[in-house]
Amino acid sequence: MNKNQLIAFRYLLIILVTIVYIFPFLWMVSNSFMSDKNIFSVPPKFIPDLLFSDTMFQNYKDVFTKYNFGRYTFNSLWVYSLAAFGQILVCSFAGFALAKMKFRGQGVIFSLLLVTLMIPVQVTIIPEYYLFLRLNWLDTYLPLIIPSFLAGAFGTFMLREFFSQVPSPLFDAGIIDGVNAYQMFRLIYLPQASGPIATLFIIAFMNNWNDLLRPMLYLSDRKLYTVTVALSQFQNQYDVKWNLLLAGSVLSVLPLLTVFAFCQRYIIQNTMSSGIKG
Amino acid sequence: MAGVSYKWHGKLTPWLFILPTVIGLLVFRLVPIVSSFYLSFTDWSLLGSPAFLKLGNYKELFGSREFLTIILNTFQFSCIYVVGSIVLGLALATLINVQFKGVSFFRAAIYLPVVTSAVAVGIVWNWMLGPTYGVINNIISAVGLTPPYWLGDMKLSLNTVAFVQVWKMSGYYMILFLAGLQNIPSETLEAARVDGANPVQSFFRITLPMLLPTVFFVLTIAIIDSFKNFELIYAMTKGGPGNSSNTLVYDVYLNAFVYYRVGFASAIAYILLIFVGLLTIGNLYIRKHYAQPLD
Repeated sequence: MNKNQLIAFRYLLIILVTIVYIFPFLWMVSNSFMSDKNIFSVPPKFIPDLLFSDTMFQNYKDVFTKYNFGRYTFNSLWVYSLAAFGQILVCSFAGFALAKMKFRGQGVIFSLLLVTLMIPVQVTIIPEYYLFLRLNWLDTYLPLIIPSFLAGAFGTFMLREFFSQVPSPLFDAGIIDGVNAYQMFRLIYLPQASGPIATLFIIAFMNNWNDLLRPMLYLSDRKLYTVTVALSQFQNQYDVKWNLLLAGSVLSVLPLLTVFAFCQRYIIQNTMSSGIKG
Repeated sequence: MAGVSYKWHGKLTPWLFILPTVIGLLVFRLVPIVSSFYLSFTDWSLLGSPAFLKLGNYKELFGSREFLTIILNTFQFSCIYVVGSIVLGLALATLINVQFKGVSFFRAAIYLPVVTSAVAVGIVWNWMLGPTYGVINNIISAVGLTPPYWLGDMKLSLNTVAFVQVWKMSGYYMILFLAGLQNIPSETLEAARVDGANPVQSFFRITLPMLLPTVFFVLTIAIIDSFKNFELIYAMTKGGPGNSSNTLVYDVYLNAFVYYRVGFASAIAYILLIFVGLLTIGNLYIRKHYAQPLD
């Protein structure tokens, strides 16, 4: 093989590999536009029969009207936006303190944050559940929001890294101007961090949006369901209609895909530099 | 800032900044870890007060064959996940470490499953792997082979879920390795090429050794992540058939929130914690003693 053939072979391989990753998404979309009869055909049809027909969006209509997916999407959107907002707020204060201030116990707190990043949620979920049970917070959104507000270890870690890399002349300028600690944070450091904070917001939002365990445990009132738990309960029905279920899956994935399409550069860049996944 | 006598923050200010995080750390991490430890010695159903059992839960766990299966399953899942994501991640990163217009599209496409919920991933793979209507088994039949029951076969279900998890997460490991690959100076690789090394030689003799710190970093993350399989198992098999795809994290959920054996579930959670702890310490040890000279 000469050099050009080698390059052509590599591109071909890249395209084939990408298809392996994209195909399940294409299959999900195509099957969500199939009628009951069409989806259960052997061998499977690749072209959906409802496509460009009068009832093209019938499955999606059903998912919205019979299964209330509009409501669930709305729930997820506002609850998890609030949770992500709380997380960036708390993490930027903590990240700044850990990066720029000196105090006793700093190292201990930082190590504890790192260690707790490693522990699977199942280790702490039982006492957490009991706490929210006793507080009478079941069937409210507080158990989805408060832990995300207060225990965003990866965000603190990420912003600490960022703040410690901000060039020191800015810090010195602040000292010369005689600012206090809050001004130093708010006026000098925070404006620098708009990029990482936006990235953190998106990552926190995505992780929460995809969470299943907490909404499953804490929400039993159907009206309160998040998209992910609604989809999961929908799947658990014994007479599940696959075309509707796949339409529901598309709807649950679509908002995140839209965000990802616009921000993938920042998310991937952030994964490269900090190792935190989106 | 040594030499600056002006103090820009008081003694208590850092604590004000970090207070919410410290509260979160205490309330949602440290206190639960300690109270789980106590609960693991009790019999409790969330109602009333826990009855102290001494080592009863642990004795029951270690005397049961079922639990042995679950531990072995956890181990098997973790091995497939760690090996699969490192090998595949590195292969993908090496493949896609080229500059051409539109390369970011391919990277984003491979990264896509990482940001998709395990529930949606589980649903679409269940559909594709279905015995009668699934596209994969239909293709296998069309070629003339007998397709297996991916999720219904006791011997296969765990492996199937583990492979789907590897598929879902490999884009993440690709990006981590890509970051490592791009830190290797191109002059070094160029020098090897000039000296007559072929691509395979330069990969194993130069790229891989220089990538070793990244490999250890990725290994740590992969081990930690390999236990986080609750959601995909819930979406794909619910631990079944039988106990064949049940793992520690799933068993904690099952005992605590389906059977309401909360003390028993806490004991399982503690064994899980010890597992994660031992692997992390072991990995740090290896990193310290064997990875240092190549850093």
